[in-house]
Amino acid sequence: MQAKELKCKIAGIGAWGSYFDSWQALQQLLGGEPLPETKNKGPKPTIIPANERRRAPLPVRLAVESSWQATQSVGLEPDTLTCVFASGLGDTELTDYMCRTLASEHKELSPTKFHNSVHNAPAGYWTISTGTMSAANSVAGYEESVSLTLVEALIQCVTEHKPMLVTFYDAPVADVLRPILSNQETFAFSLVILPVNAATDGIEVTAEVTAAEQPAWPALQSSSEYISSMYADNPSAKILCLAELMATSNGNKSVTMPLSQGTSVSFTRT
Amino acid sequence: MKIDIIDYETCSAAGLNLKALRTSLKHHNSGLIKNNLPGSDLDTWIGLVEQVSNVNDLGHWQSRNNALAALGYEQGTIRQTVAGLISKYGAARVGLVMGSSTSSIDRTETAYTQLDESGNLTEQFKQPFVHNPHAPSLFMAHLTGITGPSLTINTACSSSAKVFATGARWLETGIVDAVLVGGVDTLCLSVLHGFNSLQLLSPNPCKPFDQHRDGINLGEASGFAVLQRHGENSNSSGISLTGYGESSDAYHMSHPHPDGLGARLSMTQALERANREAADIDYINLHGTSSRANDLIEGQLISELFPGSTQCSSTKAWMGHTLGAAGITEAIIAMDTLNTNIIPGSKNLETLDEALSLSIKASDEHKVCQHVMTNSFGFGGNNCTLLFSRSE
Repeated sequence: MQAKELKCKIAGIGAWGSYFDSWQALQQLLGGEPLPETKNKGPKPTIIPANERRRAPLPVRLAVESSWQATQSVGLEPDTLTCVFASGLGDTELTDYMCRTLASEHKELSPTKFHNSVHNAPAGYWTISTGTMSAANSVAGYEESVSLTLVEALIQCVTEHKPMLVTFYDAPVADVLRPILSNQETFAFSLVILPVNAATDGIEVTAEVTAAEQPAWPALQSSSEYISSMYADNPSAKILCLAELMATSNGNKSVTMPLSQGTSVSFTRT
Repeated sequence: MKIDIIDYETCSAAGLNLKALRTSLKHHNSGLIKNNLPGSDLDTWIGLVEQVSNVNDLGHWQSRNNALAALGYEQGTIRQTVAGLISKYGAARVGLVMGSSTSSIDRTETAYTQLDESGNLTEQFKQPFVHNPHAPSLFMAHLTGITGPSLTINTACSSSAKVFATGARWLETGIVDAVLVGGVDTLCLSVLHGFNSLQLLSPNPCKPFDQHRDGINLGEASGFAVLQRHGENSNSSGISLTGYGESSDAYHMSHPHPDGLGARLSMTQALERANREAADIDYINLHGTSSRANDLIEGQLISELFPGSTQCSSTKAWMGHTLGAAGITEAIIAMDTLNTNIIPGSKNLETLDEALSLSIKASDEHKVCQHVMTNSFGFGGNNCTLLFSRSE
């Protein structure tokens, strides 16, 4: 069977990292503006009730903050969106806490930390905070987390005609695991993706999956050292190649990402 | 919608493969044993797959979780089926979707017990492809030779139910011609001591839906199914996926919605997608963890939504709650009733919870079913229902 055209509209964007706290601020960095002098402290998404927010781990707060920004930018009620949350590395600080505790004599885990350790904790906090009862997926694809999740979300948007929220987030890796998972940057990015016939304005994008031998991630246009190092090491920051496509209407019209060992996916602004 | 199930296999404490599971189900032989997991002295019962410890030649892929995935993949005809599809369509036209909650955290736990004097990972544990949540799919792509898209779904205990929904959507858009879906989760200290911290473990063999149930037993399992668009291949199983539902509770991270609102949504969506009425469903394999809250809420919901002619059971007393692998394990038990014509009883049920009035009993029922369902609910309020039908 010939693959169907995966066409949809990107209508809202949210972003959060150590040197940007919005999509607008990230666009300025991508455009060559210098880094701000001070680093942001962790995000404090007010949509999570205060008592829950205090206990929410960094990956959860990252994901919820950028998701909230994306839905607010397009003016849609969060509970109307079907969501897909993706992280390449998960919450390694909680993995570290659990494994340290379990390697010790007293193996008593905190029940809150245990339920927060599930990969779908951000999806859980988001749906609870916003009253979203639609499907919430939580996925991982290691280095290909971004491309796999985009394909998954576009497919769900096209086959089920659902407006989608897609959020990528990865936080710095705990010390013990850092020699094998090198990410030291904080990054979250969200997209509101709508069916192509939706009434809301947005940038039309078509995705095409094709066979490819050992595809590689494309080079960014940005020459910022901070952006490049994040793009290399933070699995979620691989979305920056699509973000550059979104940031300007007079640059490249298309970007191709590796999807698996034998396939790639191209996203074209139409 | 109609997606053919070309082949399926399951591996758990109740049977190394589907054939052995059928025998255990028929003779009501449970695989649960007193907890003997090394390093854990918790007073509970577990569903351990003993043969996993024999799989120790995986090199830099080694983990208990990957070992259980490899063991499951050796069973039945699943390996041959996948190899046949790769040669027919090409490796890049076959997709892979795995569900797991622990991925390979068992290996990370072990690594932390053997850190060097400076607190660093020792050489044999420097396994980037293992210590990450995508590990099950990375490993299975390596093992199978599948080079099409491969995604891991980690939505706790609904993970390997949701793989069927994702696989079906991938097929519907034509980005692949076949999908291997699977689930794998292994017993490890994180889950045993984690569920213990929530006071959910039972010191006895679990008794789903029983008045005197006192908690869950954890287990481990792997399972696989091969999906294709209806009619594109000979379907020897005679079974199709005809509906699925996915929803969120929007209520609490580790407690189900008191009125089961999210679970209701996932069940009604599955019926709508299959264009079926509740009365069409012959059997439901319930999530039925044997926790006080889940069974009460799920049981009440079932009696609201389904007539008495819909027979229900929880099969968790055979192999325990296998978490991220429970979805596919129970999907296979549910769909296999379409081949065996035996609805398994709800093992260990003696006295039904007096607040409940659904059609559930300890003994088996012989019936030629047409449509069957299975529920999977996970932490974060993540729900999935699958509906399987006899292919016409």
